[in-house]
Amino acid sequence: MSLLSRLRNNPFVLPLVVVTALLMLAVNETSYWRSREALSTMNSVVTSRYMVQRLLGLIIDAETGQRGYLLTGRTEYLEPYRNALEAINSHQAQLKTLYEHEPRLQADLERMRPLIERRLSMFAEAIAMSETGDRQRALELEMTNLGKEQTDQIRAMAETMLSAETSRGARAFDGMLNTLQAARVGVAVMLVISFVVLVLYLRQALRLQAQQRAARAAIEDERNRLEREVMLRTKQLTELTRHLQSAREDERGKLSRELHDELGALLTAAKLDVARIKARVVAAAPDSAERLQHLAETLNSGIALKRRIIEDLRPSALSNLGLVTALENLLREFGERCPAQIRASLDPVSLSPSAELTVYRLVQESLTNIAKYANAKTIDISVSSRDDKVLVSVVDDGQGFEPQTTRTDAHGLLGMRYRVEGEGGSLSLASAPGRGTRVEATLPLHGPPPSDPA
Amino acid sequence: MRTSNNFPQTAAGISKNLRAPMAGLRTYLVEDSALIRENLIGTLEELIHVDVVGTAEDVPTAIGWLRDGQNVCDLAIIDIFLKRGSGLEVLQAARATGKPLKVVVLTNFASPEIRKRCLELGADKVFDKSNEIDTLLRYCERIAAGEADDSTHAALGS
Repeated sequence: MSLLSRLRNNPFVLPLVVVTALLMLAVNETSYWRSREALSTMNSVVTSRYMVQRLLGLIIDAETGQRGYLLTGRTEYLEPYRNALEAINSHQAQLKTLYEHEPRLQADLERMRPLIERRLSMFAEAIAMSETGDRQRALELEMTNLGKEQTDQIRAMAETMLSAETSRGARAFDGMLNTLQAARVGVAVMLVISFVVLVLYLRQALRLQAQQRAARAAIEDERNRLEREVMLRTKQLTELTRHLQSAREDERGKLSRELHDELGALLTAAKLDVARIKARVVAAAPDSAERLQHLAETLNSGIALKRRIIEDLRPSALSNLGLVTALENLLREFGERCPAQIRASLDPVSLSPSAELTVYRLVQESLTNIAKYANAKTIDISVSSRDDKVLVSVVDDGQGFEPQTTRTDAHGLLGMRYRVEGEGGSLSLASAPGRGTRVEATLPLHGPPPSDPA
Repeated sequence: MRTSNNFPQTAAGISKNLRAPMAGLRTYLVEDSALIRENLIGTLEELIHVDVVGTAEDVPTAIGWLRDGQNVCDLAIIDIFLKRGSGLEVLQAARATGKPLKVVVLTNFASPEIRKRCLELGADKVFDKSNEIDTLLRYCERIAAGEADDSTHAALGS
């Protein structure tokens, strides 16, 4: 196991596989060539055994043919004799070739050769005697023990050679068995090694897989963490934006009230004073009356300026006359500045004061954008309630824009989105170049169903 | 912010002087700014025979006074944008009493919508605080003289 663990994360698996494959190849090749050699030897043994037996047979044939001739005197017996002689020579030559790499057998063959030559010359001598008419003597010569002895010697020699061949064949057979056994063991060993390599490889692959899984999980964790972070930041930013928006509105409201209450009272009081002074001096000092009139006009300008600032800060109609009147007021003023045809459908709806201000600002912001960019011919503005929702929409038929390319000056509408969401509503913006713009907001209804604000 | 000046005192003095010899136009004033209230009282009492019989700063006081059967006035001048509540409620309450009094609205911002709304609720006239003070004074003059406002409207101009 320690060995395995040492090898586990090793870079040696691949070399091990290569070495194993080479070893298998080597074992296979070696056993093939050895087997081939052994088979070739065995084949050679079979051939040479046959040749030796045949040689012995040929000598017997020659002997038989010669004896037939000697006994009968008929020449047709000489035919097999002569054939045998030729074959004996050729067989000896072939055996010599076969024994090229077998010096012992070659030596045996060389020892047998003079025996065969002597025997053959005996045959030839007897035949020659018979041909010269001395057939009886030739038969006697042949029938002596000498001929039988010689043949027996040849036979014994052949037996020796055959026995040598047999043991040579047995050796080749044993060698082949050994080779087969070695190959068998080799293949088994290689199989075991291959199995070990496979196991190592699988372990490595599994470990790699586990590492990848761990890496993926880590990435996933990191991504989730970042996502949470982004969500948290977005929430914080949204809250900050809402806070800033409401702080801004509060500030504007406060300033507006102060201007209205304090500055407005001062200016009105001044106007009243002017009226009283005028009544006193108009007859007595006409010059002063003129200056007084000028003062009244200056005061009027101041009052008009104050009023513009107040209305700009926070529309006074909103808190006194309600959303519908405030919007009508806004649309009338907008209509005086913008040539577009305005169609309004404003239903009384019940909203919290801050939601009313949000709706007012939404319409105001939309109108500002339309005046700046849209070049619209008609503008449709609608405020209505459905179920427990208030729907506000501002639709123009102007040139629109590509919603993906956020204009740097679109912060107004972005801010509106936060404000509407801050009121628990939602805002949608749809536009396309040349297709106009549609701003829609949905806000939750507030309090009792809408009634006449009077 | 509220600087003192001599006019209120002066006006009060005149008022006292004027009240004795003749009964002026009995006027009830609803206005949340003390500065304007004092100045307006002073101006009305100085220039016209107006007798300011009461004032209110907020809606409940105003409505309470108007509903009280013992209180009588010929004219109510109502500011719309009060610190708490809207003068429109006072306007409605004044009309609801059924008393034969003139009710005029004096507002800081007499937009067409506000004029329309006030007239719908029964206001006789709507005056802008900033540039219709003179018109208000002339209107009060006419009422004090006992003239019917419609018939004399053209003669007085606006």
